[in-house]
Amino acid sequence: MTTLAALTRRPGQLAWFGFLGTGILIGMIAVASVFLRGHGHALNVTREIPWGILISTYVFFVVSSTGLCLVSSLGDVWGFDKFAIIGRRGHLLAILTLVTGFGVMAMELNHPIRMGIYAVISPNLSSPIWWMGALYGIYLILLIGEFTGLMLGFKKMAFTMGLLGFMAAISAHSNLGAVFGLLDARHYWYGSYLPIYFILSALVSGGALTALIVYFNHKARGKALNPTYTEFMLTMGKLQALFLGVLMFFVVWKIIPGLYGQPPEKYEATMALLTGPLAVNFWMFEVALGMVIPFVILINKKTRTPLGVTVAALLSTTGIFFMRYDLVIAGQIVSMRGEAGHAGLLQYFPSLAEMGIVFGAITLCLFLYTLAEKFLPMEGGHRH
Amino acid sequence: MKNKRYAIVLDTEKCLDCKACTVACKAENGVPLGRENYRNWVEEDELRGTYPNLGQSSTPGQCMHCGNAPCKRVCPTGATGASPEGIITVNDKKCIGCKYCMTACPYNARYYSEKLEAVDKCTFCQHRLAQGRLPACVETCPTKVRLFGDINDPESEVSKILAKRRSRVQKAEMGTKPYLFYLI
Repeated sequence: MTTLAALTRRPGQLAWFGFLGTGILIGMIAVASVFLRGHGHALNVTREIPWGILISTYVFFVVSSTGLCLVSSLGDVWGFDKFAIIGRRGHLLAILTLVTGFGVMAMELNHPIRMGIYAVISPNLSSPIWWMGALYGIYLILLIGEFTGLMLGFKKMAFTMGLLGFMAAISAHSNLGAVFGLLDARHYWYGSYLPIYFILSALVSGGALTALIVYFNHKARGKALNPTYTEFMLTMGKLQALFLGVLMFFVVWKIIPGLYGQPPEKYEATMALLTGPLAVNFWMFEVALGMVIPFVILINKKTRTPLGVTVAALLSTTGIFFMRYDLVIAGQIVSMRGEAGHAGLLQYFPSLAEMGIVFGAITLCLFLYTLAEKFLPMEGGHRH
Repeated sequence: MKNKRYAIVLDTEKCLDCKACTVACKAENGVPLGRENYRNWVEEDELRGTYPNLGQSSTPGQCMHCGNAPCKRVCPTGATGASPEGIITVNDKKCIGCKYCMTACPYNARYYSEKLEAVDKCTFCQHRLAQGRLPACVETCPTKVRLFGDINDPESEVSKILAKRRSRVQKAEMGTKPYLFYLI
């Protein structure tokens, strides 16, 4: 009753919870439709494109988690004091994005319970997915340990767990790149590029999300940023410009080998991004919104204000969501059997249930974070 | 004595594209209805020449029962395995439906069966082999495109024809070591 009364006093908060509640409800309906209608009917994945938006959203979430862990460890693990102020918040969101990511993936799996059983009693150690589960499991435990240390003020515990968690994040996340990169049947993915690229793009995600949590926390409470946080936002802005610059370099060097000499399958997948069915996603969301506009905002001293850094972060995060989608779909868009008359690209567009699960997952993650902000002491935890 | 190693040799020149092999396989193995549900297929190759001098051939295919199977390598729970005779199998109970094997297979030989609640694929009709019968696709083919047998037995039909005639495998460059041999 008191919570409701408090909410009605703050219409912005009411609207926020209303939005999140609607999103979660949509997600629940979508999940129910998968259970009632079965994966085959509720999801638009096919024999030839078996991984759809749920897998790319899982990647989006776990990339966010890794990035948050790496960036927020700069304070309590690597001693960059300016970053210590986001230690608690960064690690909490890293935990929540990881868990939400697992949830989204479980909806794509036909038998998540069997996974829990047979991954333990019948493991296949040559499977990158097995390692993904194991390493992300370890990473989650270490993240929780580090967060607990930060919350309770156990600095040594936070440091040790943080250092181990940092290493686990790098291992787990580069291995996620390898889940795609070790598939030699998929020419667009195959190679050592993806494990490296995943780490780099995680930094962009993590940087953007830390800026967003700092800005919106203040905004929601109607508080102005104090000089420490303002300084943090400006430093984060500069760092983010660097991360984006490196990301653009990576994207360019992903494209060139896909075009040069028209390598079979890789060329068709690259062209699907540049001029084909994924072109709008690529040029508008990945390139313009995700990289170029934020980069321009961040390299310009006049626009590199806390608000500017926030806008850039919002755009990058949106762009990165599409980046993950394009990566997952482009890798499967060329048929494994180029039968005569079916030489064109394969088609995939997410179903309503798939989109509902994605929307539900994003809002659920935001809801859990908002609750934590309300009930946990998220300020503090500085290493002084 | 060496283990048996089953293989299929295909003479695609004989293929009529009648798709009896696909129908026989679906009936024999209870493959559910649906365009995407099949264990074997017949691919129409590119049309050759210009009118009126035209030609077209067809290439039947199925799981290649690779000696270096990517699907087996990537399966997180070991649901995909290999029999001593080289047949790539799926243990339905262990399949978690991650579909990693489907993304790993360069031949698109697998599909997810809602009926079995697991990924399904050609097994060379293992249940028929146990009764001394041939795989359904081999038995039903009106022009005997497929020959089935033990490649480790030099007296088998498959060994003899592979000794006599040149053959190729699909996507040899992938290093999967397929056991479906196409006569040239």
